[in-house]
Amino acid sequence: MSLTETMGTARQARAVRATRAPQHRPRFSRARGAEALWGYALIAPTGLGLAVFYLWPVVQTAYLSFTHAGPFGGGNTWTGLANYRELLADSEVRQALLNTLEYTGLGLAGIPIAVVFAALLCRPGMQGVSVYRTLFFLPVVTTPVAVAMIWRWLYNGDFGIINYLLSLVGVAGPHWIADPRTALYAMVVVGIWMSLGYNLVILMAGIQAIPKHYYEAAAIDGAGFVAQFLRITVPLLSPSIFFVSVVSVIGSLQLFDLVYVLVGGAGQSARTNPAFSRTETIVYLFYDKAFQTNDKGYAAAVAMVLLLLIVALTAAQFRLQRRWVHYA
Amino acid sequence: MSKLGRLGVLVVGIALVATAAGCGKASSTTDANAKVTLSYAVWDKNQVPAMQQLASRFTQDHPKITINVQLTPWADYWTKLKAAVTGGAAPDVFWMNGPSFQLYASNGVIRPVDAEIAADKVDLSAYPPSLVDLYTFNGKHYGLPKDFDTVGLWYNKELFDAKGVKYPGASWTWADFNAAAAKLTDKAKGQYAIAANLSSAQEYMYDTIYQAGGYVISPDGKKSGYADPATIAGLRFWTDLIKNGQSPDLKTMTDTAPINLFESGKTAMYWGGSWDAAEFSTNDYTKTKVDVAPLPKGQKQATIIHGLANVVSAKTTHPAQAWQFVKFLGSQQSAEILGQHGVIPAYNGTQNAWVTAHAEFHLQAFLDQLAYAVPYPVSKNTAAWQELETKYLTPAWNGQVDVAKAAGDLAAAMDAALAKE
Amino acid sequence: MRRPGLLATHAALSLGALAMVGPFIWQLLTSLKTLPHATRVPPTIVPDGRWSNYTQVFHLLPFGHQFLNTAAMTAARTAGQLVFCSMAGYAFARLRFPGRGALFAVFLSVLMVPPQLFIIPQYEIIARLGWLNSLAALIVPGLFSAFGTFLLRQFFLGLPAELDEAARLDGANPLRIWWSVMLPLARPGLVALGILTILWSWNDFFWPLVVNNDPQKMTLSAGLASLQGQFMTDYPVLMAGSLLAALPVIAVFVVMQRQFVEGIAFTGSKA
Repeated sequence: MSLTETMGTARQARAVRATRAPQHRPRFSRARGAEALWGYALIAPTGLGLAVFYLWPVVQTAYLSFTHAGPFGGGNTWTGLANYRELLADSEVRQALLNTLEYTGLGLAGIPIAVVFAALLCRPGMQGVSVYRTLFFLPVVTTPVAVAMIWRWLYNGDFGIINYLLSLVGVAGPHWIADPRTALYAMVVVGIWMSLGYNLVILMAGIQAIPKHYYEAAAIDGAGFVAQFLRITVPLLSPSIFFVSVVSVIGSLQLFDLVYVLVGGAGQSARTNPAFSRTETIVYLFYDKAFQTNDKGYAAAVAMVLLLLIVALTAAQFRLQRRWVHYA
Repeated sequence: MSKLGRLGVLVVGIALVATAAGCGKASSTTDANAKVTLSYAVWDKNQVPAMQQLASRFTQDHPKITINVQLTPWADYWTKLKAAVTGGAAPDVFWMNGPSFQLYASNGVIRPVDAEIAADKVDLSAYPPSLVDLYTFNGKHYGLPKDFDTVGLWYNKELFDAKGVKYPGASWTWADFNAAAAKLTDKAKGQYAIAANLSSAQEYMYDTIYQAGGYVISPDGKKSGYADPATIAGLRFWTDLIKNGQSPDLKTMTDTAPINLFESGKTAMYWGGSWDAAEFSTNDYTKTKVDVAPLPKGQKQATIIHGLANVVSAKTTHPAQAWQFVKFLGSQQSAEILGQHGVIPAYNGTQNAWVTAHAEFHLQAFLDQLAYAVPYPVSKNTAAWQELETKYLTPAWNGQVDVAKAAGDLAAAMDAALAKE
Repeated sequence: MRRPGLLATHAALSLGALAMVGPFIWQLLTSLKTLPHATRVPPTIVPDGRWSNYTQVFHLLPFGHQFLNTAAMTAARTAGQLVFCSMAGYAFARLRFPGRGALFAVFLSVLMVPPQLFIIPQYEIIARLGWLNSLAALIVPGLFSAFGTFLLRQFFLGLPAELDEAARLDGANPLRIWWSVMLPLARPGLVALGILTILWSWNDFFWPLVVNNDPQKMTLSAGLASLQGQFMTDYPVLMAGSLLAALPVIAVFVVMQRQFVEGIAFTGSKA
């Protein structure tokens, strides 16, 4: 069946619905039963794959969190809630959680930036917009080692270009990455910069799915670019914006790589950085406990706590979506 | 067939092909006369040619055994090894280092080889005793030493000449070092005497701790040495340099690695391992300007010695062949091949190739220190208390806490960690 | 009235593009330097024109094999995800079945788990299946994605409901609706997921590194990661290799971004 035929039928369907008197629909019908079966069938491949490769490890980790685990898989002794009790008393865990939450909150600033740039990059009738799009995309293919190298150079307290520019106006810049007062914010900037490319891909796709005639109608009514952006693009893009913010929050809460290469880096451990305690994230702590200090049970408990936190924040976002997300 | 049906077949087909590519993998048999392939895990890309040369040499003598050299970069080596061991797929033979050794030995992941050493009459006195001890656990030997490294005092001749300071030598003491440091610091030019590196305990604080007569961990592995006043004196050596402005502060060293500072002429001295010879001989700034001397003497002379060993997996299905390979790797013949590829081989008397490889440096200084070298301090879970070291000492290096207090707190925490082992 | 608007747009985009592309240019410059010049402080900007760094990459890595491995893995993962995630995304968005909300929450929960948690358990599963050091190990876990399901569900939710209702009235079953109606309509979303999956697969280095031992079986990014030594890394060669590895993905993006532009126009349909 072709697309136009479907459209035609859609028009008929609406017309029929409008004229039909309200009827009582049976609670369960064969159609509903078949629909349910189809539902399960369609989610089955992904569902089964996720269950085997992703959910089972989570169950394993949950189990490990109640044990004192051997470093090589064997020798797990059940310790009940001991890991969780230790976790609650651990000031490093508390600080890492605070750092992570602060990073996540600040990172949300990247979303409006992405939305604006996505709209600009999809602006019709612009010369060279495909060139811009490719340029915006490049951070995503730049190897993390190069990303870390250049940002560390930009941020270098003694030889970096940011401080050089500041010195021209008489300001002595700090050691951005090594100073506890600035390191987290320096990391936020890099984080926003890194995720912009990914978010643009999703948002641009979302903008392209918005029917053009809305813009045409608005233009006829005399609305300019900004008005069209605020009244048409943003509301109709809201499912994609919602997606981007959920994923962004989850990604920020799981931050690990940046701590490794930015706070550490240059062949040095992140821990010798004076700013480490202000930039350690919870996943970094997890990785450290699991793979460096061989405390896998404790690490599992940390992971479970993080998982709960992420679930709570994501559920909150889903609740809130009714207020601002427009679905067609 | 419907379009969907065709697509479904395509997807399933991909999966099947992929599976088929995965299966059909000939796993090595346990028949003693059959061909055997051993996996050999290493982490240094620069040594891979040497490893492959050794592998083919071994196969020449043992035609039924092939060696598969597997490189995992250092940053991921231990994570991958742990995954492999946990998953039952550990390599047959692999590199082991001091800090991790006891963890693997105490958990039964690697095989003791005393029986084989006795049966094949391997002479352990051919290796430096401190190395043999490093890889002994509960009186049993695991694997054979492969190479070793010590720490020396690299210095920038040009900067020394500019300030009229005599080059370091075997007779240098801490007093000489500090006097030179004062003269070599030039704030106006942004030059420092040395970077008091906190990131590499092996090259910096461990050496001064032992030179001051202190210790890091007691011989029975139960007590931390950080509360000892001599140890604290060893730490203060570095914090004083920072306090006096003769070393860049910790933030500068975080932004720019000490070795890069040295290679850019910002620091006049660099305490570095023997492995730096390769780097300094190719860097076009250092290759003509630097040389090396033994470390200065505090209360006594000391340098940290460390080396790798080749060990055998406890779960290997070819223990006899794996031992043959390890024995070969520990032989004089292998040591000679190794010495030509940038590391100091462990076998006595084979180090000359390494010394002469870079004649522009007095590399003999590294070997001369063997007499008083101290083995790298380790325990069953070395990583746990090494992390505590950075946690407690970073504020001291950063000038926030007095080093005596930091060390005291560290000792308490380290004792607690050792008690958990 | 349009001129200033366009000028402002160009200004904003140029500044943004400069910020975004800076590190990439740095990577390019570094790839042409000698190692000492790359790590010296203060940093040097002008490169040494060392094109030999690029040929060195081919000496150090079995580039051809790793390229093919990467391409095969990426193609398979992307195809798999596009099919499976769109099926699941459509079902969650448009079909009603008991427990739909709960199941979707379970799917989402996979997203919320830090990826580092999966390394050892997945390794064990692969080892038990006997798939170590194989293409299957690279492909199979990557065929299933909670992220892709979530993304496409949002896309399907954004499409007008009348369309598939109409198709249902016409008697089509959900599978046909998925294939004939939803997939074409969700093309921008599919392209987005495709690009993201290609990117993620192409750059995925840790899993291929852990699960493979043979350099011939590894992917490009895993091969490049192995160029990093314990004490010394030849950064310029690493940058050169990374640039070479990035070229195919950039090419894919340049081609695919036109798919973004060809949006779907609903003529005559009203919200």
